[in-house]
Amino acid sequence: MIVRVWGARGSLSAPGPATVGYGGNTSCVEVELADGTILILDAGSGIRELGQRLLEREHGTVYICLTHLHLDHVEGLGFFSPLWRAGWKLRFWGPPSATTTLRERVSRYLSPPLFPIGLSEAPAEAVFEDAPREPWRVGSAVIEAQTVEHRGPTLGYRIEEDGQVLAYVPDHEPYLTAALDDEPKWISGWAVAAGADLLLHDSQYTEEEYAQRVGWGHSAVGHAAAFARAAGVRQLAMFHHDPMRSDRELEALYDEVAQGVGDDQEPPLIAREGLQIALS
Amino acid sequence: MERKQPDLVLIVARSFATKLATPTLITDVRGDLVYFNDAAGQLIGRSYLEIGHLPVSRWQELFKPETLDEQPLTAEQTPSGIALLERRPVHDSFAFRGLDGREHEITVTAFPLFSHPDEVVGVMSIFWELPAAP
Repeated sequence: MIVRVWGARGSLSAPGPATVGYGGNTSCVEVELADGTILILDAGSGIRELGQRLLEREHGTVYICLTHLHLDHVEGLGFFSPLWRAGWKLRFWGPPSATTTLRERVSRYLSPPLFPIGLSEAPAEAVFEDAPREPWRVGSAVIEAQTVEHRGPTLGYRIEEDGQVLAYVPDHEPYLTAALDDEPKWISGWAVAAGADLLLHDSQYTEEEYAQRVGWGHSAVGHAAAFARAAGVRQLAMFHHDPMRSDRELEALYDEVAQGVGDDQEPPLIAREGLQIALS
Repeated sequence: MERKQPDLVLIVARSFATKLATPTLITDVRGDLVYFNDAAGQLIGRSYLEIGHLPVSRWQELFKPETLDEQPLTAEQTPSGIALLERRPVHDSFAFRGLDGREHEITVTAFPLFSHPDEVVGVMSIFWELPAAP
């Protein structure tokens, strides 16, 4: 599979000269599977440009896994061009709710007064489903979703194809559930990330910021490294960068993360728009 | 690598229990004891670190729960057992023997932990020691 990052920013789009290196678009990752299937992880503002590229084809099917419905993970949906083209089929999965369907919840944003046009007016065929509780197959991959610790119902995704594993947990506060050197099975999200070849993980805060924001649903960079170590992932990519973090500040955090991962792990990455990684 | 992990609801319940000063015990969907906090450990007579995970049959054998008029209780008859089997909250009192040999009379509120409307992943039991009879 080929993993392409279209948006790695968290919470709010943050364009401008200070963030141009890693990008200001919010969460969106494209996963191109070996059989050509396009899987999209989250619909932050990064999905806008991905949609433009997809329109090189006249029609098709894309599969979109939403981790949760905070705005920074769905705000790009209204500008995802395939949604506004007849002939396209969009299949969504997202966190379950005991009271409302995924379509109803997404429609709260894609409807007036928050958005001028309702989801029901979109010409594409859009199918919304709660993520299955058991792993399911999409194209040549098997996807697994698990609830993880964040504010509100939130999923982490594990995508496995030909023995290669991508784990995507962009919004996550595992430190709230257990000490990160605790028995791993009691750490939120562990089973999603365990043994993954690449983990895209929440790295929003510095330690000092985290101390002021415990319970807000995000990780300090040191927690991301400790989580990656506990899960035995091959490589961690710092993701969901704080919108206030400049490129220079982001790079200043890198050493702390690099020191936090295990000796048997590859050096971590800072996820940036345009980053492309082939897992094979 | 074995990747089995408790449901997040159970993980968060355990995390909540670690922070509570009130004795609290967590059982999983099989009725196995998967955690109790330090306050519960004072009544149980050992810490969870010393005891660890206990299958339902084993904790019943160790603690010998009984009614306040000394009739033996099966695991299914304890508040946590009823909460699990009948999927409803239960409030009741019973007695048990701690691992230090001391007898305790406790009142318990046990409630099932639903991860989905149709799925129970465990039970949280919060308990208080009853004051000794004058």
